[in-house]
Amino acid sequence: MFDLIQFIPRLLKGTVITVELTLVAIVFGLLLGLLIALGRLSENAVINKFCWIYIWFFRGTPLLMQLFFFYYAFPLFFNPPLKGLTATVAAFIAFSLNSAAYLAEIIRAAIQSIDKGQMEAAKALGMNYGQAMRKIIVPQSYRRLIPPIGNEFIMLLKDTSLVSVIAMTDLMRVTHEIESQQASALIYLPAAVIYLILTTVFTVVFEKLEKKYSIYE
Amino acid sequence: MMPMVQVENVYKSFGALLVLKNINLEVMKGDVVCIIGPSGSGKSTLLRCLNHLERITSGRVFIEGEIIDEREAGKDQLKISQKKTSEICTELGMVFQRFNLFPHMTALQNVMEAPMTVRKLKKLEAQEIALGLLKKVGLEDKKDEFPSRLSGGQQQRVAIARALAMQPKIMLFDEPTSALDPELVGEVLEVMKDLAREGMTMLVVTHEMGFAKEVGSRVIFMDNGEIKEEGKPEDIFSNPRNERTRAFLQKVL
Repeated sequence: MFDLIQFIPRLLKGTVITVELTLVAIVFGLLLGLLIALGRLSENAVINKFCWIYIWFFRGTPLLMQLFFFYYAFPLFFNPPLKGLTATVAAFIAFSLNSAAYLAEIIRAAIQSIDKGQMEAAKALGMNYGQAMRKIIVPQSYRRLIPPIGNEFIMLLKDTSLVSVIAMTDLMRVTHEIESQQASALIYLPAAVIYLILTTVFTVVFEKLEKKYSIYE
Repeated sequence: MMPMVQVENVYKSFGALLVLKNINLEVMKGDVVCIIGPSGSGKSTLLRCLNHLERITSGRVFIEGEIIDEREAGKDQLKISQKKTSEICTELGMVFQRFNLFPHMTALQNVMEAPMTVRKLKKLEAQEIALGLLKKVGLEDKKDEFPSRLSGGQQQRVAIARALAMQPKIMLFDEPTSALDPELVGEVLEVMKDLAREGMTMLVVTHEMGFAKEVGSRVIFMDNGEIKEEGKPEDIFSNPRNERTRAFLQKVL
């Protein structure tokens, strides 16, 4: 038996990295995902096809492979090869691009579920497509977006543990290192508790958000 | 005098289904034109072709003498930008059967939105207009309610105020009372009567024969995509010449 307390600072450091990566991936994923969702709804055939291919690729290949790609292969596309693309940057890119693909489909489905009469009413009032989307359609999709995005958020948080394989010292990696040094697997217990605390916090936040956006229903 | 709305040889088809056949129509300023006829006769489609919610297949449409659509076999004969389309829509206010209020906005916000977004009015100006219009439709005290908290009749009155906020010259009503409980129809018709009295040019697709008789300056009977008969309400209702009109009126009156 070892003294757990002394490892807590290291575990917390790893936790910060895990949370950082999750937040970056969800923020960029949402922004890019919204653009891709709008592209999938666009009548422009080229934009539509491009966004379809994007989703097809990032949903169709393993996230771990995408992570390896951005860490090892991506720098080789440059001449001279890109040096110093850190594990952190590679992970930011891979996770953001990957979550954008999933979030795009969530956003597209939410937008398409809004009654057609809403777009007609907006157009009849003289709004153009962009104004109607911004003021009328997208705001109404928020409430429908929250449950599936909360789900995606939690999956993403846990998936970030994959970065331990490219030597990023997230919570998973730190736990694993401590385990090797101490030759005790018990350290997985406090690590699991930290993951649980994080997912619980997000769950509560998303439940609050859902309530907040339900006021008009 | 220039007609407010002029429709020339308009045809509209959805795929192989021809829903409007050679429609010709003129609406003058202050006219209240009631369009009656069985379901599926093309009444709503005709209204929707005026503000580009549907595009005609062929023919020409003028609003206030200005050509806004000219098509031949589904192809544009004249280029219309989205900006132009939006401008046309602001001349024509539309009220829908299912209200289509914006559910995430209060009654007041529903009315303020288009003047702010489209006309770029300041918030206070838009609010003043919106409050005035809600008062006009008798719903000033409901200004802060979301649509889900309003009755169907109240929602439709807010929808009328919302359309009026863009100061349209012509109002299109697409079966405005068909989705309402019978006891709520009256309050909506009252608001429409007030508008007619003020001289608003109106096209009303309706099943309310009483309204058509009382308020309509002209009644159009449509059947199977065609205008079968057109005339003053007293003539159409008491002395219909077309056999289809007669059969239809017998059923609904």
